[in-house]
Amino acid sequence: MERGGKPPPLHGPLMDIQFIFVQLFNGLVLGAFYILLSLGLTIIFGMLGVVNFAHGAIYMLGAYAAYTVMEVYSGSFWMAVLFSGIIVGLIGMVIESTLLRKLYDLPHFYNLLLTFGMMIFIEELIRIIYSPIGKPFGTPKEFLGSIDLGFMLFPKYRLFILGITTFLAIGIWLFIVKTKLGSIIRAGTDDSQMVDALGIDISKIFTLVFGMGAGLAGMAGALAAPLQNIYPYMGMSILTETFVVVIIGGMGSIIGSIIGGIIIGELITLGVIFWPPLAHILIYIFMAVILLIRPRGLFGRAKFFE
Amino acid sequence: MEESKRPRFIKGRYYFFLLLPLFIFLPFLTPHHSLASEMLIFAIFAMGFDILFGYTGLLSFGHAIFFGVGAYTSGLILIKFQAPLVVGLLGGILLSLIIALVIGLLIVRNRGIYFVMVTLAFCQMFYFVALKWTSLTGGDNGLHGVPRPSIGPIHLDSEIRLYYLILIFFIISLLLALRIVHSPFGRVLYSLKNNEDRAKSIGFHTDRFKLISFLISACFGALAGGLYALHLNFVPLETLTIITSGDVVIMSIIGGIGTLYGPIFGAMLLVYLKNIISGYTEQWNLIMGFLFIVSVLTFRRGILLELREKFFPTKS
Repeated sequence: MERGGKPPPLHGPLMDIQFIFVQLFNGLVLGAFYILLSLGLTIIFGMLGVVNFAHGAIYMLGAYAAYTVMEVYSGSFWMAVLFSGIIVGLIGMVIESTLLRKLYDLPHFYNLLLTFGMMIFIEELIRIIYSPIGKPFGTPKEFLGSIDLGFMLFPKYRLFILGITTFLAIGIWLFIVKTKLGSIIRAGTDDSQMVDALGIDISKIFTLVFGMGAGLAGMAGALAAPLQNIYPYMGMSILTETFVVVIIGGMGSIIGSIIGGIIIGELITLGVIFWPPLAHILIYIFMAVILLIRPRGLFGRAKFFE
Repeated sequence: MEESKRPRFIKGRYYFFLLLPLFIFLPFLTPHHSLASEMLIFAIFAMGFDILFGYTGLLSFGHAIFFGVGAYTSGLILIKFQAPLVVGLLGGILLSLIIALVIGLLIVRNRGIYFVMVTLAFCQMFYFVALKWTSLTGGDNGLHGVPRPSIGPIHLDSEIRLYYLILIFFIISLLLALRIVHSPFGRVLYSLKNNEDRAKSIGFHTDRFKLISFLISACFGALAGGLYALHLNFVPLETLTIITSGDVVIMSIIGGIGTLYGPIFGAMLLVYLKNIISGYTEQWNLIMGFLFIVSVLTFRRGILLELREKFFPTKS
């Protein structure tokens, strides 16, 4: 991902302040992707007890799905995002109901290893189908150019990402807090066996939750595509950064994902201002500090899937 | 402890050494001598990993850190100081130990999946350090020109001599590992795996045991990494990737975790297969991913245990 944003025209201290504002906003944009990914990861984990290593690969699948919809079927960008969410969500549901399901009774790490194998498999498959060379993916024409926010210019497309992420995050929150299905999911996160005993078909809910998480990751991939070239291994580095977000926020916590995502996004983009090589290492140092103070993350719960 | 819950192969644990002639002739059985060296190197890596995963029950996805740091440190010491071989290897082990101590102190309090995720995250951090610190590590190109210093009058320029050196390290490592897992200390580790709370309530400082297990495991990884640098004359950046971490996990699973011999067998098998299959197709990673999925779904106790169960079923 293009992390630093464009270098500013340096004309004096005033410009520097503007540059910092731009970087703050870029941090939010980067954080938005971490939020979309870690929300899925954390909900899947909370419900199914699966650390989904394939989450990055699924994100990459979303980008390639969007690419295929736009380039091959010459669809619009809106269609591409929507379709990649749906396609990848369906793939996720198939994976859950055919493979992951077999291992729920075993120790958690077996499912984790299974998704790790899937990650390698999916990445290699895409590499074979679409070639290892990255594909260019231009900014959709609806979002070309910048908007003057008064104190700075900011690209339209990046503002759009902030908008849609806010929309999705609020939507998920409302879904989980206000709907019946959401309350079942919340109950399932606490004690899925009990929910099952109460006569709710928990296995269907599991499939749905995994599909939702995968769909979110797929949409994140599609949204990220215009900011970078898409390539088969794009999911790998964002996966570990998403892990850091979830470790900082606390596994299974929605608010933790959101706050963790913003923190990590800002740390990386602000780190770039001071010393670019340090930017990526900074987040791991920050993670270490958080682990020292709160071993289970900011909003993590004790004895949760341990 | 119940008999059936014990780690397998206890009684005949030294029978393995009957296979020693096979190991002596191994380089002549493989397509080229250096493949045998690589098989043993990953066997050392995997047996160390098994002490942590198979015997203590902690899954680390960051073991590439110790393999990679061992390889880079040994390589750098040998290049920059023209140090004797043993000094290079010891330097790699020492730095890995320090890193393992720092990471270990941060995460031994965490259990289960947190341990996995944090080790993985640190692995990525070390990958970035090696990638960006180009002046020291060579970045993306890897560290080139690692020499093989002679040991006294013995020159290591031939692959076969290096193999026998690695075999000596392998045997020493194996004896050490056997000693560790079958000692009273090893029994405590095994009790942590089965029921940490119980071990704690008996009065063991479980965190301390987990930390020591982590450190021991890191030493094996660093030794393997140092030998790998000698073997290739070069340290690829790939030694520090998550894929390397994943490789050692799948080697252990395929061979059978908690058996020590299983991971050794798994590592040798996988390195051999990788080498053979890479000759025919470039899609080794695809096969690897597939193997990962299949082995977790079907023979997750490992080939050795599944076969043993088939031919010598335990009475139950």
